[in-house]
Amino acid sequence: MKLATIGIGNAGTKILDRMLEFEYNTDRNLCRHALAINTARTDLAKPDFVPEDRRVLIGDTHQKAKGHGVGGDVEIGADVAKTDIEEIRRAFDDVEIHDVDAILVSAGLGGGTGSGAGPVVIDELQKMYDEPVYGLGVLPGKYEGGRPALNAARSLQSFVTNVDNFIAFDNDAWRMRDQTIEEGYEDMNRELATRIVTLLAAGEQDNTEVAENAMDSSDIMRTLDTGGVSSIGYASSKVDEEAGLIGKFRGDGQDFDDGATDAAKIKGLVRRAVNSRLTIPCEVSSADRALIVLSGPPETFARKGLESARQWLEQEADTVEVLAGDDPRDNAAELSAVVLLSNVTETPRIKELQSQAVDAQEKIKAQDAVREQEIEDLITDEDNELDPVI
Amino acid sequence: MKFALVGVGGAGCRLVDRIMQVEQNSDRSFSGGNVLAYDTDKSIFETLDAVPLDRHVLVGDTHEALGSTGADGDIDQAAAVAQEDRDELHREFDKLDLHEMDAVFVAAGFGGGTGGGVGPVIVEALTAVSELPIYVLGVLPTTAEDATITVNAARSLQSFVTHGDNTLLFDNESWYDEERSLAEQYEELNELLAHRLLAVFAAGERQSADIAENRLDTSDVMRIMETGGVSTLGYAEIAVHNPTTLFQRLRALFYNGEEETTDAIRITQLVKAAANSELTLPCDRTSTERALVVLSGPPHLCSRKGFEKARQWLEQETETVVVLAGDEPRPTADDLRVAVLFSNVTTVPRIEELKESALTAIRDQS
Ligand SMILES: Nc1nc2c(ncn2[C@@H]2O[C@H](COP(=O)(O)OP(=O)(O)OP(=O)(O)O)[C@@H](O)[C@H]2O)c(=O)[nH]1
Ligand SMILES: Nc1nc2c(ncn2[C@@H]2O[C@H](COP(=O)(O)OP(=O)(O)O)[C@@H](O)[C@H]2O)c(=O)[nH]1
Ligand SMILES: [Mg+2]
Repeated sequence: MKLATIGIGNAGTKILDRMLEFEYNTDRNLCRHALAINTARTDLAKPDFVPEDRRVLIGDTHQKAKGHGVGGDVEIGADVAKTDIEEIRRAFDDVEIHDVDAILVSAGLGGGTGSGAGPVVIDELQKMYDEPVYGLGVLPGKYEGGRPALNAARSLQSFVTNVDNFIAFDNDAWRMRDQTIEEGYEDMNRELATRIVTLLAAGEQDNTEVAENAMDSSDIMRTLDTGGVSSIGYASSKVDEEAGLIGKFRGDGQDFDDGATDAAKIKGLVRRAVNSRLTIPCEVSSADRALIVLSGPPETFARKGLESARQWLEQEADTVEVLAGDDPRDNAAELSAVVLLSNVTETPRIKELQSQAVDAQEKIKAQDAVREQEIEDLITDEDNELDPVI
Repeated sequence: MKFALVGVGGAGCRLVDRIMQVEQNSDRSFSGGNVLAYDTDKSIFETLDAVPLDRHVLVGDTHEALGSTGADGDIDQAAAVAQEDRDELHREFDKLDLHEMDAVFVAAGFGGGTGGGVGPVIVEALTAVSELPIYVLGVLPTTAEDATITVNAARSLQSFVTHGDNTLLFDNESWYDEERSLAEQYEELNELLAHRLLAVFAAGERQSADIAENRLDTSDVMRIMETGGVSTLGYAEIAVHNPTTLFQRLRALFYNGEEETTDAIRITQLVKAAANSELTLPCDRTSTERALVVLSGPPHLCSRKGFEKARQWLEQETETVVVLAGDEPRPTADDLRVAVLFSNVTTVPRIEELKESALTAIRDQS
């Protein structure tokens, strides 16, 4: 598949940057256009792979943003994007939309820019283009507290109603141990980039030498067509010359299609992907559709293995709509299986996030309601014997 | 955050002078020389080291009502004079490059005639000419000071809080050493306040800065301050071993076996220490509306888990859902510092006490 990609806000931009890094390192060519949009000038200086002229600062003339972020305020984030919508639109001028299959917008939902400006940009893209617009959204961890949860719960609604599919990433599930703040989200973002790029880059080399079982962009889009929230699973195993899948086949020169053991290994790999830590933990059986991409050196593919993996997933996901295909990568060092679970409806973390958000909203409302009075009580005396100076 | 500094009266001018000195001795740039020092008493200007001459503004020298030593505690007189000379006071604002600034801090001792009388007029005037948030950096008097000063402080507090966008307070009573005279402690008290203030408001203004992963943008700080009301600061620091040369690092490797587990705990404890430290204005922390915590130090010692835990703890402790956290990397530093801002605290015993004493003083007079 070929994409125009947009990272919005800090998290959105960092994830886009890691996606570009991953495709660069693995000779993929998924992101035909990359654009970073942010309200904070300093954050826009961070990317290593997004070209300088593809970074757009919005809201620098907005009284409350002024190029230094929106302070986690979703309203300001949305406001700024609306005000600067012309500028955002102009940034799309040189996007050859006919060269891409879809648009992907990445954002962190707990802040103010990604969560507030994201839906505004998506809305505009939907108006401008017929191509599907997908969201790649990060849900804040529980440990981030009430305010991010509230931002995310609200923004999630706008994202899901406006995108053609929303691929979720749960920071809670991916929280890493023993790291410094600086290393921060780096590892997480790489894991996410690996999954999303491996999945979507399948079928990017349309009609090349590819095998007949090759995954096609339209298959991926069909699977995403459900709308709703989706999750991705992933597993990989090293392809090395001496042992493992490929080594064995090279050794006895058999047609790999007939290798029963290899079929079992591929099925095992897919199974591992489904049972792995998903980008957002969910009940697999609640998926509406599913898709399996097997990516790696073609000599490691085993048709039977993939077909039996597909059948297995049909049962697991309790749906007949399971597509499977290969993504041949001649020089890949790994064989990997990516599984897309589309429109999963049982995601405990989203429920939890929503209740955390409701609590936060109540607290904020309660504080708002008494603020003026409490300040007044603090600075004045009951009988108003003390006069202000002016 | 970039902010202009405006000092009013003795305490205000000395504070601004001190903050500027700290700025000049650091690799940070936040005021960039955008300062003004107002007083009714011209003798103060000789004592200022950092505020340049052209930023000294003498208030009310044409008014008979004020003697040669200025307002001398007469808050109403000072306010009246300032109101009359409003235009002149205004004109000085042109010296501040407000377009380059994110906010203004007006510093004043609330008990002084000038600080308490002229201060609110200046705050009001700034609010009228500028869209920027106008914050107040205020000093409350000790209980040992004159009744007039107590009354001044209780009254000007009302005006400052009403006209300013947020009022950050320092309580002399809680901090001074009763064994010594207050005046001889001004320098150290001002130094202490300046450091706390900058730990929060100038984080991220380091020139040589590596970009923090969890950087606090100016908008983040402004959002916390947006509540209005009265605010206070907590602070804690510890020395750390931070080998910066390769040789030192290699050596350090041999005895740092347990570093990983202890880093997180150390950060959590440090944040707790800062939050529980003696605040610039003591208060009931659960009455806070929003809070902000800044961790500053060598990045490799700033454990994410420890900081996240600490933020979460602070959210519970303050019973609020708006607690922002950010870091400031200082690769070669040999200490870790944490500053906590509690914004809009509404249960403040010291203010209740101040109002009581002021009322008693007023009743005694009549
Ligand atoms: N922490 C601290 N407090 C001070 C300092 N100077 C004065 N204060 C306090 O602030 C109060 C006001 O004093 P000043 O600032 O000298 O008064 P002023 O604003 O110049 O007003 P007048 O002299 O009355 O015109 C005093 O009663 C002290 O409590 C200072 O440098 N540091
Ligand atoms: N996975 C991941 N999540 C992040 C990262 N940075 C921030 N987040 C999350 O995204 C949310 C929004 O943060 P941020 O992107 O900085 O805010 P914005 O710039 O205002 O959109 C936070 O609450 C975190 O949950 C990142 O690099 N990776
Ligand atoms: Mg004086």
